[in-house]
Amino acid sequence: MRSGRFGIDDSPVFVIDQSRCIGCEACVQACAECGTHRGQSLIHLERVDRAATTQTAPMVCMHCEDPTCAQVCPADAIKQTEEGIVQSALKPRCIGCSNCVLACPFGVPKYVADFDQMMKCDMCTDRTSEGLTPMCASVCPSEALWYGTIEEFRDTRSGSLFRDFLFGRQQVRTKVYTVIDDALAGRIDVLAGVTTTWLDDPFGLETEATP
Amino acid sequence: MSRSPNYLDRRGLAWGVVGVAVVIALTFIGSDRLVWFDAALVGYLFGVVFAVFGVAYRYAVWLRRPSTAMLNRRGWDAFRQRKARNVVALPSLVATQLLTQGFIRRRSHARWFAHQLVFWGCILAGLVTIPLTLGLLHFESVGQQADRYQVYVSRLGTMKFDAQSIVGWLIFHALDIAAVLVLGGVFIFLRRRLRDPGAMAVERSGDFLALAGLFAVSVSGLFLTVSSMWLDGRFYSALNTIHALTVILGLMYLPFGKLFHIFQRPGNLGVAYYKRANEQGAPAVCRRCGEKFASAQQIADLKELLPQVGFDYSIEGGGNYQDTCPRCRRAYVTLAQSARVGGFG
Repeated sequence: MRSGRFGIDDSPVFVIDQSRCIGCEACVQACAECGTHRGQSLIHLERVDRAATTQTAPMVCMHCEDPTCAQVCPADAIKQTEEGIVQSALKPRCIGCSNCVLACPFGVPKYVADFDQMMKCDMCTDRTSEGLTPMCASVCPSEALWYGTIEEFRDTRSGSLFRDFLFGRQQVRTKVYTVIDDALAGRIDVLAGVTTTWLDDPFGLETEATP
Repeated sequence: MSRSPNYLDRRGLAWGVVGVAVVIALTFIGSDRLVWFDAALVGYLFGVVFAVFGVAYRYAVWLRRPSTAMLNRRGWDAFRQRKARNVVALPSLVATQLLTQGFIRRRSHARWFAHQLVFWGCILAGLVTIPLTLGLLHFESVGQQADRYQVYVSRLGTMKFDAQSIVGWLIFHALDIAAVLVLGGVFIFLRRRLRDPGAMAVERSGDFLALAGLFAVSVSGLFLTVSSMWLDGRFYSALNTIHALTVILGLMYLPFGKLFHIFQRPGNLGVAYYKRANEQGAPAVCRRCGEKFASAQQIADLKELLPQVGFDYSIEGGGNYQDTCPRCRRAYVTLAQSARVGGFG
């Protein structure tokens, strides 16, 4: 966790490392404090498999360089800033069709039925535009959600920053980084080797036991 | 897109020209061959013609976006599927989604109130200004009575009223009432835009431009009344020119800026019909967890749409990633990431 503001010459990045999540839900509470969507928590916190493990995993908007959500929006309501932040739906335009909710490869946007519109993480634009850390990253005790410069990451964390994903045949590059150990192995194929559910082998013990 | 960004959309041009032709025909016929057309309002007519062309052009271009075209088609398909039932449901949908705007109230009472003020103020102003501009509406004295008027819609004489009566006051001050309503809403919106850190972080220049335009039109209009009622008509001519300019510029801004949402929003009715039709149809089933998660129709539509906008979520060996429910998508990403750091923990 970092206090204080980033300067104009810093280029902080958002990093998500789901494997470090301890399930404290601080991010869920903090997300609802974000100034651009007060009272609505837009972060996802999944229980990986309640019956088999206590593991949890957060998911924020990954801010794709070419956002699928924006391309399938019939109202042209999802805009990208010059910094690459994919903003929440423009309220006057969003007509609540849920195309973005269903098409996002990361499963991020939420349809809020009461407001009849989509809402999603905008990387706490009110804070990051002023050099502050997003709410979720500012409270995450295990640094599963982290915000800082790449130099700070290298100085204090292990693993490589990575932001290239493969969904079926679709390549997606994101503004938000994730952390992997084997950067040389190429982009993260989300469907590779995940044919079984995590219930089958939540801790990878069987995989390790296989000769 | 290999085409130059400067090219003009032919279909948009055609719809724009049709729109302009309709306005001109309406003006010519409605004003009884220009007999009742008020030449002093010709600038406003230019503004209306420009706005109609621009809105029709942009609407046609908007409808050609693959995602908009798909939803437009599906919305009408859904409407036609159960036409009788959908026609019956229309007034209630229009009332809740377009007129009373409960979805804004559930977001914030202040914003809903402000939006209602601006909305009804603009509707009232439009209902007065546009028919007057096109010559569809005019007033005539009743016989030799100087203080009694009759409202004429085109050549059709309708209600008569006394200029000194409450009805007379309301009719002659309809635009003042509209201006007060709009100004009330503008000030509430402005307060939020200037003081709410969240709103300030995501606001765009167009947000202020729309408010500034509404403010300028309303204040300059009210000053005309001030001039005629309390200043013995001083500065009226200059104020009239300023007011006309703000209204004409406002009309010309309609197709370009934030206020275009007025014309986009009715698309929400199509979405409502699409969703209702989809609820009756088969559900989509997640390829990973086997749970129902959306309508099969919408997922099929997305799978048809995505390649048109440059995405290929098909999976080698068969299947499509889009058949995965959002929760399982998050699970896939999580599992894939954790596998690359040696598992959880």
